[in-house]
Amino acid sequence: MGGPKPTRVSNRIRDLRTEKDLTQADLASRLGVTRQTIIAIEQGKYSPSLEMAFQIAAVLEAPLDDVFSYKGDDAD
Amino acid sequence: MTADDTRVPMAGDEKVAWVYGSTVLVTSGAYFVWLAIQLANHAPEDIFWILPMGIAIAASMALVIVVTILASIGAAVWSAVRGRFQEPDFASDERDRAIKQLGDRSLLSALSIATAGALILAMFDASGFWIGNYIFLVCSVGALAEAGTKIRAYRRGL
Repeated sequence: MGGPKPTRVSNRIRDLRTEKDLTQADLASRLGVTRQTIIAIEQGKYSPSLEMAFQIAAVLEAPLDDVFSYKGDDAD
Repeated sequence: MTADDTRVPMAGDEKVAWVYGSTVLVTSGAYFVWLAIQLANHAPEDIFWILPMGIAIAASMALVIVVTILASIGAAVWSAVRGRFQEPDFASDERDRAIKQLGDRSLLSALSIATAGALILAMFDASGFWIGNYIFLVCSVGALAEAGTKIRAYRRGL
């Protein structure tokens, strides 16, 4: 699904998930969220809470700033 | 096709937002069309509006429940017919709660406007007809704004 991304937070969840051979459903199940939410996060349509961001990083066994990055105002 | 490519069903709360918005549009819309016809032919004080408004409100509530249940059953049956597993869609998580809060804020704004407007109408001794219909109109618009805000957040992100 296309469209503008409302968040400046980008992430490498899809890449890191693929490296660990995890599906969206697997990750959703490990985090206790719906698959729709994982899709929204991967597409940059939803910025997760700080707690969920840490949980995602823990499941993917990667540092938080390796999973998420913030595009500042100068990124436009 | 990988597991990630399988179609993901619409979130349960998004389905409810669609049903809620559509239902309010139909029931409130029908009421206000009826009211406009009555106003064209009768003076406001001669219009018996309480029962029709009550029916519109009751129909809204009943239809939201019935259509949501039927839509869920229909989606599950359709998936089964096509040989696809239907993921449970009743679960909600922090994203659903964030979207709900966003929708609630739209509704709260409308309720604030309704309250202030009703107070002003009462101050000017407006009749129950105008106060009641004004509140119902603003609440209907607020409900549509709530549903629209939620659907937009689900579709375009938040």
